[in-house]
Amino acid sequence: MFKSSRLVMIVALVALLSLSIGAAVAQDKVEIDWWHIATQEDQAAYWQSLADAYMEANPNVAVNITILENAAFKQRLTTVMQAGDPPDLFQSWGGAVLWEYAANGLVRNIAPELEGDWRDSFAAQAALNLFGQEDETYGVPVSWGAVGMFYNKALFEQAGVEIPTTWAEFLTAVQTFKDAGITPIALGEGEKWPGHFWWVYLATQLGGEEAFLKAYSREGAFTDEPFVQAGEYLKELVDMEPFQEGFLGTTHPESEGVFGNGEAAMMLMGQWAPAAQAQYSEDGEGIGDDLGWFPFPAVEGGKGNPDDVFGGGDGFAVGANAPDEAVDFLKFLTNEESQRGSAFFLVPVVKNTADVFADDPVMQSILAARDAAPYFQMYYDQFLPPAVGSAVNDAVETIFAGVATPEEAAQAIEDSAAAELAQ
Amino acid sequence: MLAQQQKPAATALKYGILIALCLVIMGPVATAILGSIRTNGEFMTRPFGLPTQGIQWENYTSILLARPFWNSMLNSVLLTGSITVLNVLLSSMLAFVFSRIEFRGRSLLFNILMIGMLFPLVVAILPIFIQVRQLGLVNSMFGVILPFVAFGLPGSVVILRNFFITVPVELEDAAYIDGCTTFGFFRHILMPMSRPSLLAVATLQVIAGWNEYFLPLLVFTDPQLWPLPLGLMQFQGQYGTDYARIMAYVTLLMIPAVLFYLFAEKYIVTGLTGGELKG
Amino acid sequence: MSAIRFRVLPRPHEQAQRDIRQRQWNKALFVTLFLLPGMALLFLFVLMPIAQSVYYSLFNWNGFGPPTKFIAFDNYERLLNDKIFQGALWHSFILMALSLVVQLPMALGLALLVGRGSLRGKKFFRTMLFVPYVFSEVITAIIWRYVLSPNDGALLNAVLGAIIPNFQPIGWLADRNIVMFVLFAVLTWKYFGFYMILYMAGLQAIPADLEDAARVDGSTEAQVLRFITLPMLGSTIRLTVMLSVLGSFQQFVLAWVLTNEGGPVNSSQLMATYLYKFGITNLKLGYGSAVAVVFFSITFIFSLGYQRMVMSRDFGPRRS
Repeated sequence: MFKSSRLVMIVALVALLSLSIGAAVAQDKVEIDWWHIATQEDQAAYWQSLADAYMEANPNVAVNITILENAAFKQRLTTVMQAGDPPDLFQSWGGAVLWEYAANGLVRNIAPELEGDWRDSFAAQAALNLFGQEDETYGVPVSWGAVGMFYNKALFEQAGVEIPTTWAEFLTAVQTFKDAGITPIALGEGEKWPGHFWWVYLATQLGGEEAFLKAYSREGAFTDEPFVQAGEYLKELVDMEPFQEGFLGTTHPESEGVFGNGEAAMMLMGQWAPAAQAQYSEDGEGIGDDLGWFPFPAVEGGKGNPDDVFGGGDGFAVGANAPDEAVDFLKFLTNEESQRGSAFFLVPVVKNTADVFADDPVMQSILAARDAAPYFQMYYDQFLPPAVGSAVNDAVETIFAGVATPEEAAQAIEDSAAAELAQ
Repeated sequence: MLAQQQKPAATALKYGILIALCLVIMGPVATAILGSIRTNGEFMTRPFGLPTQGIQWENYTSILLARPFWNSMLNSVLLTGSITVLNVLLSSMLAFVFSRIEFRGRSLLFNILMIGMLFPLVVAILPIFIQVRQLGLVNSMFGVILPFVAFGLPGSVVILRNFFITVPVELEDAAYIDGCTTFGFFRHILMPMSRPSLLAVATLQVIAGWNEYFLPLLVFTDPQLWPLPLGLMQFQGQYGTDYARIMAYVTLLMIPAVLFYLFAEKYIVTGLTGGELKG
Repeated sequence: MSAIRFRVLPRPHEQAQRDIRQRQWNKALFVTLFLLPGMALLFLFVLMPIAQSVYYSLFNWNGFGPPTKFIAFDNYERLLNDKIFQGALWHSFILMALSLVVQLPMALGLALLVGRGSLRGKKFFRTMLFVPYVFSEVITAIIWRYVLSPNDGALLNAVLGAIIPNFQPIGWLADRNIVMFVLFAVLTWKYFGFYMILYMAGLQAIPADLEDAARVDGSTEAQVLRFITLPMLGSTIRLTVMLSVLGSFQQFVLAWVLTNEGGPVNSSQLMATYLYKFGITNLKLGYGSAVAVVFFSITFIFSLGYQRMVMSRDFGPRRS
């Protein structure tokens, strides 16, 4: 008797299994799977509202949104990509990661659809270029900003420090803050990428576009002088111990909190920082009107242009099997109205939107720096293949931790680049 | 009896050690609980401390009154339940065959089974994911249940086999003389006898299944299917600003685990001992 | 049987043989039916992925599309020369050694304290000590991040600040020299209860009269422990040693979340975190597979040797 009931269970199990295998989607609607990483309630609600508006206008389309936290998103996207099953629309930062997807036929070339008005509508053409290579384009940016120095006006006043415009002045300022008992800089080196901002900015100032492109094309190397020098300059800063206690284990949100609580004078960060500083601060407000922004100090004698800017942005890429409707929806996401509405958490990339920051001097100065930059240096850890990008982050961390010389750090990056960039 | 004739100093030392350890164990738990009833600002300035601005029940109600939490709770219960039932069922069948029936290739098969103990799931996560996908199990509960059970089987078999081996062969012979079939012996004699061991195995599986994070992350692209540990990570992304609420979520996750443990505690020890057979 | 001798007709004999065959066939069917579901799962989700890893490890493969760049053993060569991998291996060995010399004896001592005997409240303590084991690794890591925060209001720094005059708060997870020990402490917090329970189970199987008899004969407590209790716990100890070694090598989620992917500067990188970081997140699937194979080989050789040499009497196939 019991035997038969067990058998029934096993049969049921097998049946269920085959059911779930056969449970293919059999609906007449065109489905768009959209993965984004805007987990904050108001941001997620904004994307949802755009999806709803699009579905209302196009009743034959169903947009299915998957919201993933940044780290979880990267984990999962990597796996589904490797399994050859990309979502239709997904968060992307452009650069080598996206190109690698393209080389394996995992993303769709939307250049034909992009041609004409849509392409022309972008103000940040450099950003758009990172979402494609040669004649192909696989996605578009929705936000484009710059990394620069956020500072606390009240603490600057308290210590009597002027905004530094050169690296030497900057080091003096750091010392002044230290003498005044104020933590000069907040840094979340536990996540490594915030520290790489410092090294790359120095390398960009010291070597300019030329040094990077040479190293990237393998004509030069990451052991070339500017990259070693960048480590030396950074080491000089690190040796002054300008960061908050335990910065090697501090996460990025925690460091935003340190700055947002007014416990540090400066923070080198991207355009999202003001929102994050408010969110991660004790009172949820950040430092309010005390917040200011200035560009990375110019390094004397460097080959780069002092106005060169380092940064990047966010965008959405289109999966290889995405229906045409997904491309159309992406176009809708980047029209002027959608972009204006997103300005509370993104920096719009299309024309005629600059006025959204009319009341926000900090964002205005970031935009001005971005648009005036003769050369825009993309985040290394996005632009370079993942293995090299993480080698950069790891190597720079060794400088922050004081366990490797600038030469050794440059060598570690070069080793990885030599192995990965040769092909 | 004799153990009672100890010196008071030794007893005091023992209590000292135990109380100190309990404090060490409760400290982090208290950090979570205290964090969860204070404001975010309080928690940020002093991660450990008593509430100074009244108890913030709102941290809890905001989670408990929202649907995602209960949805994740239901998913967790379903996943954990299926994993446990399937694991206990299959591992007792395997353990029975490996402990009480002789056949050619038995030790070879047993050793193959034991390979599963040597490999944490994360090491082979990609081939596993590809396998899950080829079987069409992405976004299916089975995509998590089946690999998880597969990796849990060897451990359970070891525990159960250890117990099954101790059952006297005379008992089995007597059962067969009484006209019992092999299956009958398994079902009507061995299984009831092994209740404590089965419950111990089940308890360990419940704990493991309840806490699994990795497989669901890869297999469920649909957040509707997410169990609690994933819900927590998502919640952390969503309310990254609000550490107090995260601590409330963490506390809510700890409660069922502890309650379940209090309920199942006795089975773990007796089950692993070999329970009722003990003289 | 004796009746057969007098029968001239061969039928009953044939019948008996057919019976035996029938019974053997039944047995084979039974064994197959009982083994099939479990072994099938094991084959699909454990053995096949392992075999695939071995195959992938011979390629330079980023995981997109099928592997095509065959590079034979280059991945292994790179791996064995990689300092970070050597570090990860070393860290895993440190964890293993610490587990064996600290965690297990501690668990055993506590099991002796609360597993039996007459200590009042032992049930309460027993329950308390096992509690961390039921928490998920993610939860454990999140909570401990706040306990260990460099903030002087975080639990550990606050306690030390109250005890030690002029104590400066420490970034426990930011110091390369101590992070491994911090990680080990958290792992111990979470896992020692499990081993304690195993020892308690083992202790309950030891007849109390045996030890009492020794005490009556004038043995000291230490002698009873040394010559009776421990030897009788032999199989449990051998089992926990194996579980502890395998467990140390398999640590992943807790270390990953607690130390931010094995930081700072890879100073808490373990075998599994190394594999995940350098294989999977860096899109070096071939390389990652090679790590997995080395990983697997180490645990495989260890367990094979350990089972053959140490545990054969506990776990060798046998019929009672």
